[in-house]
Amino acid sequence: MSTSIRRNLHGLLWVSPWLIGAGAFMFLPMAMSLYYSFTDFPMLEPPLWNGLGNYRRMLDDPTFLRVVKNTALYCAVAIPLQTMVAVALAALLNGKVRFSRFFQACIFLPTLVPLIASAMVWMWLFNGELGLVNRLLGRAGITGPSWLIDQNWVMPSLVIMSLWGVGQAVVVYIAALQDVPRQLYEAGRIDGMGPLRQFANVTLPMISPAILFNVVALTINSVQIFAVPFVMFRRPDGTNPAGHFYTHYLYENAFVYGQMGYASAMAWVQLIVVLMLTAVMLVASKRLVHYRRV
Amino acid sequence: MVLGGTGYAAFGPRGSRDPRERNRIVLDYWEKWTRHEGEAMMKVVDAFNASQNRIFVRYAVTSDIGQKSMIAIAGGDPPDVIGLYSFNIPPYAESNAIMALDELAPRYGVSLDNYAKGVRQVMQHKGQWWATVNTAGSVALYYNKALFAEVGLDPERPPRSIEELDDAHRKLVLMREDGELLRAGFLHREPGWWSWLWPYHFGGSIYDPAGDRSTVGSPECVRAMIWMQMYARELGVDRVKKFADGFGNYFTPENPFLTGKVAMIVQGPWIANLIQAFKPDLAYGVAPFPVAAGVANSEPVGLIDTDVLAIPRGAKHPEASMEFIAWTQRQDMTEQLARAHFKPSPLARISEDFLSTHPNKGIAVHYNIFNSSRAFIAPPTRVWQQFKDECDSVVQRLWRLEVEPDAALAALQIRTQGFLDRAADERRRRAVS
Repeated sequence: MSTSIRRNLHGLLWVSPWLIGAGAFMFLPMAMSLYYSFTDFPMLEPPLWNGLGNYRRMLDDPTFLRVVKNTALYCAVAIPLQTMVAVALAALLNGKVRFSRFFQACIFLPTLVPLIASAMVWMWLFNGELGLVNRLLGRAGITGPSWLIDQNWVMPSLVIMSLWGVGQAVVVYIAALQDVPRQLYEAGRIDGMGPLRQFANVTLPMISPAILFNVVALTINSVQIFAVPFVMFRRPDGTNPAGHFYTHYLYENAFVYGQMGYASAMAWVQLIVVLMLTAVMLVASKRLVHYRRV
Repeated sequence: MVLGGTGYAAFGPRGSRDPRERNRIVLDYWEKWTRHEGEAMMKVVDAFNASQNRIFVRYAVTSDIGQKSMIAIAGGDPPDVIGLYSFNIPPYAESNAIMALDELAPRYGVSLDNYAKGVRQVMQHKGQWWATVNTAGSVALYYNKALFAEVGLDPERPPRSIEELDDAHRKLVLMREDGELLRAGFLHREPGWWSWLWPYHFGGSIYDPAGDRSTVGSPECVRAMIWMQMYARELGVDRVKKFADGFGNYFTPENPFLTGKVAMIVQGPWIANLIQAFKPDLAYGVAPFPVAAGVANSEPVGLIDTDVLAIPRGAKHPEASMEFIAWTQRQDMTEQLARAHFKPSPLARISEDFLSTHPNKGIAVHYNIFNSSRAFIAPPTRVWQQFKDECDSVVQRLWRLEVEPDAALAALQIRTQGFLDRAADERRRRAVS
């Protein structure tokens, strides 16, 4: 046996735990779910071939269209807002702020709290009658809405809550900001740039790779939003339609309605959408993202 | 990997085994109940384990039992006995995911005739017998007698018609001067577990099992929803939203019926248990939920909602499972469990003092509903969960006065019929293949 073959076999042996694990628990289930997406599969009976039936059904399913709309709206609002807030907080904390480390810890800390626990806390904060948010609004003379019940306030409450988890992005942005060469700011000042122009023309381009990374990660997470609305908007009298999202409906089809075939088709559509969005962002990044040459 | 596996096998965690399991057939019994309800069932299990030395039953509390059992059965590793909800029976039965009991149960002395008339409906599906009932409830009107007396209503005379219910509700509504709602007489959305219930009290139904047709667009359903919307209009949608936001969770002392925020509530017998635990001094009355004018009221109308025991497909010891189930169905065991759950016995025969010594003051009402020919169950269709979720969604919109009943229910009928048709089509294709 030649040395190169032996080396390759050794390499394969070392990575075999991952290969076996990924094959058995990722690629095989993915292949099976692709097959199931073309079948009627109630789990308790064998799959029955249905061709493109499940994919066609999505177009006629008003609940599907509603959850797509809700998820798209959430992504459209939450992703830019979270990015802006995270960048702004990072910029503030990167300056000469007293107790900067303390504030960084405070902002990061919520990301360590389990999602379900956070959702339970926010349910109380947003309680229309007893919640702290409405109490504070009341002190300012504003009558707060029924955040978690009123159709018009469900999405804003969820978006506000999503800001609770920006800590991780803030840490990445602070690291990126600290990596921006000081001489660029000095050059900007010499050219007569004010703080805002410096931020727009120096800071943002320099941290754009970090922004791209965070936006891609945020998009993938936002498209799959599940746990928080599942806890917050599922009530005994049914899920609040404004708080009904794609992954929740997928879960219902798979495990509540016993329609694994339809759920599999939905999962594949979701995967394709996420891949397309990521591809679009990566293509756009060629123009918008500035990579430094080392 | 080999080293890791050997290490895990040698030093890894081990489940503790009950010494009583030795030399017996061990049955795994998955049940949804926790707390006092679980403890009551445990007593039945313990009594069975002590009664003989051949079978040992292990009780495992399992949340979301319908889903987890489905996955376990599909994965080929089911427990031996599962405690499902009655609405799980049609999808499980149609998939043969549970065993038919027509031949097995009589061998252990369990017969359909043992059960109350209304209860028998949930045990069967499409002519076959699939499950036994371990506890059962019927849904009735619970009302707060002190609040009735406070507003000049006779606490011993609950509403006997929808019109009387409306009058009582109006008298019981309490508003602050600034218009904030402090108390409601009756709210359809509290606790909101059965958004599809009301048409049955207007002489209608939402499903015709004979023709497998959705009937949610029927005139009775429209009438029921118009009635429901009347409450939303009179109280004000936003006002009720704010009011309901202050309700505590159902299983807490902040339950709005317990706090007196809602004076009348449609509920099962288990709420008496809650009252006993959190507000034992609450004077409550129980009555069949009334029917609308023009609907015959010679017999009570009410939903029967039960917990059932079934043997999953692939269970290792079906005979032993049935022996255990038969034990739970003995009159003494069902009555012991029913008392602990504050529920009526599902059996046709009850001991002489069962009603008089029962901790639920309204037990006779629930029992009468069991034996009423007008008792009904959730539509026995395998798409019920989806059907119900769609009803919930539309009823939410109706309650918020966003849509008109006739148009919304007509659309709902088309949509829910679509679910039924799709299931029927799948059944046909499976039969052909």
